[in-house]
Amino acid sequence: MWLIFKKEFMELVRDRKTLIFMIALPVLVFPLLIGGTIFFTSNALEDAENKVLKYAVIGNANVADINSALSEDGSMLERVTLTAEQDYVAMIQADELDFVLEVPTPFNSEVLESGQLAINLYFNDAGLNKVYQRVSAILTPLSEEYQLQAFRALGLSESQQQAIVTPMLINRENVADNREVWGERIGAMLPYFLFFLCLQGAMAPASDMGAGEKERGTLETLLISPMPRYKLVLGKFFAISLSGVIAALVTVSSMALWTVIISQGLAVGFIVELLSSIGVLDFVLVFLMLVPVVAVFASLLLSLSIYARSFKEAQSYMGGLVMVMIFPIILAMMPGIELKGVWVWVPLTNVALAMKELVKGTMDYVALLGIFGSTALIAGILLAFSVHWFNREKVLFR
Amino acid sequence: MIDISHLAKKFAVESPKKLSEQEKKDPRLKGRFFHSVKDVSFRCEKGEVVGLLGPNGAGKTTTLRILSTALKPEQGEVHINGINVLKDPVLARKKIGFLSSSTGLYGRLSGRENIAYFGQLHGLSKARIDEKIAEMADLLDMHSFLDRRAENFSSGMKQKVSIARAVIHDPELVILDEPTTGLDIMATATVMSFIERLKAQGTPVIFSTHHLDEVQALCDRVVVINLGETVFNGTTAEFADLSGGHMHQSFLHTLNGTKEEHSNVVNL
Repeated sequence: MWLIFKKEFMELVRDRKTLIFMIALPVLVFPLLIGGTIFFTSNALEDAENKVLKYAVIGNANVADINSALSEDGSMLERVTLTAEQDYVAMIQADELDFVLEVPTPFNSEVLESGQLAINLYFNDAGLNKVYQRVSAILTPLSEEYQLQAFRALGLSESQQQAIVTPMLINRENVADNREVWGERIGAMLPYFLFFLCLQGAMAPASDMGAGEKERGTLETLLISPMPRYKLVLGKFFAISLSGVIAALVTVSSMALWTVIISQGLAVGFIVELLSSIGVLDFVLVFLMLVPVVAVFASLLLSLSIYARSFKEAQSYMGGLVMVMIFPIILAMMPGIELKGVWVWVPLTNVALAMKELVKGTMDYVALLGIFGSTALIAGILLAFSVHWFNREKVLFR
Repeated sequence: MIDISHLAKKFAVESPKKLSEQEKKDPRLKGRFFHSVKDVSFRCEKGEVVGLLGPNGAGKTTTLRILSTALKPEQGEVHINGINVLKDPVLARKKIGFLSSSTGLYGRLSGRENIAYFGQLHGLSKARIDEKIAEMADLLDMHSFLDRRAENFSSGMKQKVSIARAVIHDPELVILDEPTTGLDIMATATVMSFIERLKAQGTPVIFSTHHLDEVQALCDRVVVINLGETVFNGTTAEFADLSGGHMHQSFLHTLNGTKEEHSNVVNL
């Protein structure tokens, strides 16, 4: 069996396509994707922050307080005077103007007399821009000043003012520790990435080891070697499983490392905090839980591959399998779905939920043993099915 | 010695409606089953070379696959030096060297690694594998490409490595399915001289072919299969005599005749 495993793995290592998908892609492409996204997003945000905005005021254009507030940020704003005939909406759409403020008439800063002052801000909100935030930052202090004037006119004390602004204050007293908070957020994503990457990493080798043998014409020669069929299957099964695990680990490690490096300051804080709060045992258990899952994937992929007549046919079957396999994993990410009740018995979903609980530090280890055992049992049944298919002439000589 | 008696093998037809008109007219098609081999019997004694002839689709490859243990027949028996192939296929596989018609190799392994892998599967020691590879590299003229990856091999190179792979374990019987198909003259000559060497060593060889000149040059016996049945089983001389020494005419004669007409030479 190890002879088969060794030969299959040697072939994998020598296959450029496999190496690209297993090693190069996660090590180089993911950092480039993450880095590129951060770089371009931060550049775009910086441009939006620093852009000199062209604007016009319509309606009551001579309100001193508003004009004064706008002119304080004069270097970043450029006022345009519009004639009555000019279509300011069309001008905004044509990027000739960035925003137009429509100030109501009459405009009375004594809001107790005038009531709420509604100012319309016209701008193009499609795409990345900071128009609303920047205009709000200019006008909000003015709004607060009017509010304060009104409170003073009413003769309200500071505590009365606070009570009117926020009649009931709800204080957040989170009893969950940081690990549980971040575990809930990241823990749900982790199994999705791990499962998906394992599946992706195992697909190409599985296609090669079943359908590839048929297509190359090596299957017949292999079948008549004195090696028992179950050993042939086990050798291939372990090679597929290992490539799936390697692909997942390389990718996750690469993503974690590069996220820390690229994001620097911001990400380091919570990632280091989260990682340091998760015990070694829980880390080991997370990856231990991956073992029966990979075994399920490898058995299914190998069965499909040996059934297919060609590499291409195998790939098309596997595409369908990915859709089916991803569904229980996505279920585990849905809000409200937790590791209790019926979900403990849903294959793969239970493992994904268990991984989340492990990251959160709230896993019941006895239940974990049950989930591990049931998934391992499913993997064993699927592996036995794979061996059965390797003995069926109808499958081997389709 | 290999003794094959009354082999029969049928396959379920996945989509009978998709068969061509010609396929539907084949008398071996019975309902949802295609009786690829209906009744094949012959023997191959020690040191004999048996040429298996027949038109495309006659059942030659199915017969050879049954002999090699890749397929199980519904009926019949195969004995190799007393071992019942159907009852003890794993033991039988150790005695058989089989070259399939596809000559498939693992492209990312070198020629040497391809041969060595099958040596290891047969449980040979590293020293024995090295010794055998060196011996076959001389015999089949493989030194120039043996350590190159097989993915870029020519048909001839592939066939030589495939033959070496098939006989690395010194089998007691060698089965070759169309070993010279697609080969150039030089490669064909190498393969033919290799078969002659096996014969000289006393190893029985069964090979299927469409080349009657190869049969004439190498074979002691000829077996013709048509529509899944043995229609001729005799010596090469007897086969040639069917049409006054013209092999091609003899072949057509066996295909057009019936078992009864050739009862004098068909020893079933």
